[in-house]
Amino acid sequence: MRHHICMVCDFFYPNQGGVESHVYHLSQCLLDRGHKVVIATHSYGNRKGIRYLDNGLKVYYLPFPVMYNQSILPTILTTLPLLRNVFIRENITIVHGHSAFSTMAHEGMFHARNMGIKTVFTDHSLFGFADASSILTNKLLKFSLADCSHAICVSHTSKENTVLRARIQPDTVSVIPNAVDASMFVPDPSKRHKNKITIVIVSRLVYRKGMDLLAGIIPIICNKHPDVQFIIGGDGPKRIILEEIRENYQLQDRVKFCGSLRHSEVRDVLVQGDILINTSLTEAFCIAIVEAACCGLQVVSTKVGGVPEVLPPEMIKLAEPSVKALVVALDEAISDHRAGNVLHPLEAHERIKTMYTWPNVATRTEVVYDMVQTLPHRDKRTRINRYYQCGPLAGKLFVIAMVLDLFFLYILQILLPEKNIELAPDFAQQVNKCA
Amino acid sequence: MAAQPRKTWKKILYENQGFPDHYVDESFLDELKKNLYTREYEYWNIVKESGVVTQQLCSVSIFVMVFILMDVKLLAAETLGYISVCLTVLGYIVNCCLPLKSDKTRTYLDDMKTVCIFAGFSYCLSPVLVSLTETIATDTIYAMTTVMLIANLCFHDYGADAEMVSGVLSLNSGLFASVCLASRLHTTQHSFVAVTFAVQIFALWPALRRNIRQAIPSSHVTMTVTFALMTVVSLTFISMTAAILLIIIIVFITFVCPYWLITLQPYKNNIHGPWDEAVITD
Repeated sequence: MRHHICMVCDFFYPNQGGVESHVYHLSQCLLDRGHKVVIATHSYGNRKGIRYLDNGLKVYYLPFPVMYNQSILPTILTTLPLLRNVFIRENITIVHGHSAFSTMAHEGMFHARNMGIKTVFTDHSLFGFADASSILTNKLLKFSLADCSHAICVSHTSKENTVLRARIQPDTVSVIPNAVDASMFVPDPSKRHKNKITIVIVSRLVYRKGMDLLAGIIPIICNKHPDVQFIIGGDGPKRIILEEIRENYQLQDRVKFCGSLRHSEVRDVLVQGDILINTSLTEAFCIAIVEAACCGLQVVSTKVGGVPEVLPPEMIKLAEPSVKALVVALDEAISDHRAGNVLHPLEAHERIKTMYTWPNVATRTEVVYDMVQTLPHRDKRTRINRYYQCGPLAGKLFVIAMVLDLFFLYILQILLPEKNIELAPDFAQQVNKCA
Repeated sequence: MAAQPRKTWKKILYENQGFPDHYVDESFLDELKKNLYTREYEYWNIVKESGVVTQQLCSVSIFVMVFILMDVKLLAAETLGYISVCLTVLGYIVNCCLPLKSDKTRTYLDDMKTVCIFAGFSYCLSPVLVSLTETIATDTIYAMTTVMLIANLCFHDYGADAEMVSGVLSLNSGLFASVCLASRLHTTQHSFVAVTFAVQIFALWPALRRNIRQAIPSSHVTMTVTFALMTVVSLTFISMTAAILLIIIIVFITFVCPYWLITLQPYKNNIHGPWDEAVITD
């Protein structure tokens, strides 16, 4: 079945990050598989209007004002006219929203459902349940997923989390892990230091990535093993405490900071290392450890979130998130390295290469699309009911939002009838026909 | 979908196990834990602990009473000045005698210096203070004071480890209330004494209470009862309604709220799992 898919997400190129590259790679692989894919995101600075990326991937940079953290201002209704136009122009059959943080994804899926288009949502992050901000975000997610056809999570832990947060049936949630472009992470053992063991950290230097743990580990390990050096790639507010540690313990020649790295530079840092340490306090999937394993590094990581599911036990050492446990795990990794009791980098690369690939992700996502497309359409009554059951107060608000949106849609159909919207030519299909 | 799964499903991603992606295993949500850190409360213990709230409430009441007495000219500025100096000296001596293990390096000279600086500045500024809010309606001032005193009660550091506790905010709102009220008084002496008294009751007195409690834990109940009785009795001379209201509030805080907390405890539904952000323990 050929699908016309619209990926809606606030986060896309020129912004850099995990979600952005996920959307890009998934779209490319779906294009390769013969589907039609367009991406809708908000404008980035001067980058407004329609742009084409590799392979004819069409991106709509829609002029919505950015409010916070690259997300647009949540208004529920105002994004409808433009998004409706895009959906109709491109003859969209499935709208696929990405990331719980993206306002645009939620709004796009909401409008799509009111227009009778099936929706799929991919959740990339984990949330707690205790603090005020997560309670609010969880309510919003509930609103977004109450009527969503299918959800995709990146790990089993993430699925459990999403099911609990949005109170949806677990069998409407698929687990499709992230992937790496293995050709970008080829090991190069010649870049390694001959006589020293190099421990690499590649991460944003923020609290959630466990930088306070790292600050505790560095002096202990440096004291125990005189032939160990650290390379830290990334930047962030916690850099200052790591630099303080380096000053206090006189480790200037053994701890090196690379500053913030572009995604293309990550590999060049990784190949210099023997061991990668990940100290995250929460993580849905952790692509960093897969990239490191792909470059042939041994991985030591905290046992949080979805991390234990990601790599087979012979490639990763897991530790509880405490300085003591991490030091023990690192000690083991160092002695394994000295004894030569490790996977050869190239062998590790070969294994990862087939483990997490984008074509695989695309095939599995396609299964979800096929499944969604065969689901019967929900009538308005069922949909209102689903929203109403979201909570004593929230449920009523959600119903009001939906009715308003339907009313707005009705007005738009009078002001700007569907037949007046010019359809975009479908180049891929024409090419296929010619061939 | 998977009709009869032959192998057992494992919670891993690195291998294709032959199950569909939306397969839900029996082990789903096995790691979910409920109410891990729920504390069992004991009624009389909470009643005792609620004393800290009562004490702060009484402090605020006393402060308002003193203002009313000065406003109706029943209490001369000099009298209050002498009383508060005596009480401060007494409190300071008690604080020094307490068997507290502290490693602070403050000397007596430092303390004296602080007192002189503070007293000097507030004495110099009290003429400004007394006419500060002349253009503002008295009702506005009272409303502002009420809000500030409520803020003082809300943000006061009762010893709870919570986000909203802010000793600085509490103290500042208390002092702001005192500045508001002081500006309604008649002479510069009055406003000087009012501000000084506010510093004593909002800054020094809570600190002294905490120190006494730390040094002699058994004194807590006695002190709460004495302080509350004293406040209620003196309030009866000013307004019977206010006194009865205070009694009701104290009874509510001391006896009803703890009971409420305990009855609400079974409704607690706190879920924990591997998705929680780890807490660094060492």
